[in-house]
Amino acid sequence: MTGETLPAARGRSAAARRWGRHLDSTALPWLLLLPALVVILGLVAYPIIETIWLSFHAGTDLSTGPFVGLSQYRSLADDPDFRAALVRTIYFSVFNVVATMVIGLLVALVLDALRSRGRLLGVIVLLPWAMPRVASGIVWKWMFDAQYGTVNWALNSAGLHQFNGYAWFNSGFSSLVVISAAWIWQSVPFIAIALLAGLRSNPHEIIEAAQVDGAPYWRLVFRVRLPMLRPLLVVLLVMSTIWAFQAFDYFFVMTVPPGGPDHSTEVLSLLTWLNAFSLLQQGKAAAIAVLTFVILAVATLMYVRSFREATE
Amino acid sequence: MSVTNGRSLRRRLRRAPLWLAVAIICVVCLFPFFWMLLTSLKPNSDIFTATPKFFTTTPELSRYSSLWSTGFPRNFLNSLIVATGTTVVGTAIAATAGYALARFRVPMRRYLLVLVLMVQMIPQVVLVIPLFIMIRSAGLLNSYAGLVLCYLPLTISLGIWMMRSFFLGIPPEMEEAAMVDGASRLGAFFRIALPLAWPGLSASAIYAFITSWNELMFALTIMQNSSMQTLPVALNEFFATYYNNWGGVMAASVIFSAPVIGFFLLVQRRLVQGMVVGAIKG
Repeated sequence: MTGETLPAARGRSAAARRWGRHLDSTALPWLLLLPALVVILGLVAYPIIETIWLSFHAGTDLSTGPFVGLSQYRSLADDPDFRAALVRTIYFSVFNVVATMVIGLLVALVLDALRSRGRLLGVIVLLPWAMPRVASGIVWKWMFDAQYGTVNWALNSAGLHQFNGYAWFNSGFSSLVVISAAWIWQSVPFIAIALLAGLRSNPHEIIEAAQVDGAPYWRLVFRVRLPMLRPLLVVLLVMSTIWAFQAFDYFFVMTVPPGGPDHSTEVLSLLTWLNAFSLLQQGKAAAIAVLTFVILAVATLMYVRSFREATE
Repeated sequence: MSVTNGRSLRRRLRRAPLWLAVAIICVVCLFPFFWMLLTSLKPNSDIFTATPKFFTTTPELSRYSSLWSTGFPRNFLNSLIVATGTTVVGTAIAATAGYALARFRVPMRRYLLVLVLMVQMIPQVVLVIPLFIMIRSAGLLNSYAGLVLCYLPLTISLGIWMMRSFFLGIPPEMEEAAMVDGASRLGAFFRIALPLAWPGLSASAIYAFITSWNELMFALTIMQNSSMQTLPVALNEFFATYYNNWGGVMAASVIFSAPVIGFFLLVQRRLVQGMVVGAIKG
């Protein structure tokens, strides 16, 4: 790299080159960031503010009405369907997040124990994540079909005859059981693979030292290996909470009508969409969306805090 | 790690629970795929049986061919256009922003990174109402561009993080050498850094493709005209209309799932690597 071989720079004066270098270090990064910032500010930040603004207005037939202050929120507080949906969303999220984390950890430990032989299993584990939720929702509904479903057949064959012809989608609770099964099936893969990456990052020396001390397997996992992954665990916990709060597709596809029977499977995300685009109550929908956002913002704060702890 | 060479019977027995767990995991993960495929191929007389039939001797392909005469090919094309558009635009945005955040001392870089991360945390229901209003007033309802615009916020955040971590893994000396040889900063990016970051590029592209191919809520909102509907919306409508035609619905589901599953299998290791890096570093 000597000074005489500068083919690309031939014909450019030294001053122009210097000016070019100056632009490269000041303007270029912003030029490169510009499209991303336009998307983040225009298609994320502005819509959030707009949603908050809309929630203070009356809105019907997808147009924005007069300012009504907090009355959307006040009527939500008195709305039994909304309160039921809020409680249902929280139960659904807590149960499914815990189940996903526990199952994800077990799958990660199996993959970890297999070491390099677990590569194929790792791919198999991730397949449910890639499957479109509309398709997997339909398949799960088919597997839980009252008359011809494989699940009822298996339960009946196992001696649980009360499941012979059991119609899972006739009640809210049993519908939620099926939706949860599908949701967990779809969410475990990412959690398991992320935890596996974390477990693999455990320093060998510490594991070996614990093994030499004769620590049994589960104590090794819970006292030595998982505590080292605390930042990752918090991140995954909050991420899966946000996924659970956002769950929409399975509810929309599997319940008839969406949120049914008789509003018994309505959750906040579904309620927002139905109010906005089916019942055409834009202001109410915006208020529900804002409340969802506030609940999840608390979780996001935890996420950012754990990010700081992880980097320090 | 204690590795004993003597493979005693006791040791093998101790591994038995592990292999049992492996078997359970395989069955639970794969059975829905198997059941979807099998149901789509079984004749109706084998589908509607009190005891499920786990194989068929007379597979039927007629359901797949009859999908051709419906609106399904058009929906497939719509999905392909929207997912490809999102992938190209989203990956370009992610690559440039990821490079800027990896290589330049941008003021407030730390806050920019957190900002990008927060985008990933925004619930989609918060965005759907204003994005619908914006896209309607721009006259972009029932257009590919309108839906692609909705999908950019869902895909670029993880894309930027993945690209940034891949660029950080490339030694900057290579670009510096190119610049000493007279390449511009941008030239070094396009000719040196971008080709080297190819694994990251493909991972974030596939992530964008899978996300936009599978998405239902925005597609439902933006594409109201049946000729513009993407596959998730069309499949859901098909399912709601022909509720008892399980074989036909499963054939449609297979067609819908096949491209993303194929793409996923093609690049799974890189994709997983990129996503996990995003989650861990985040």
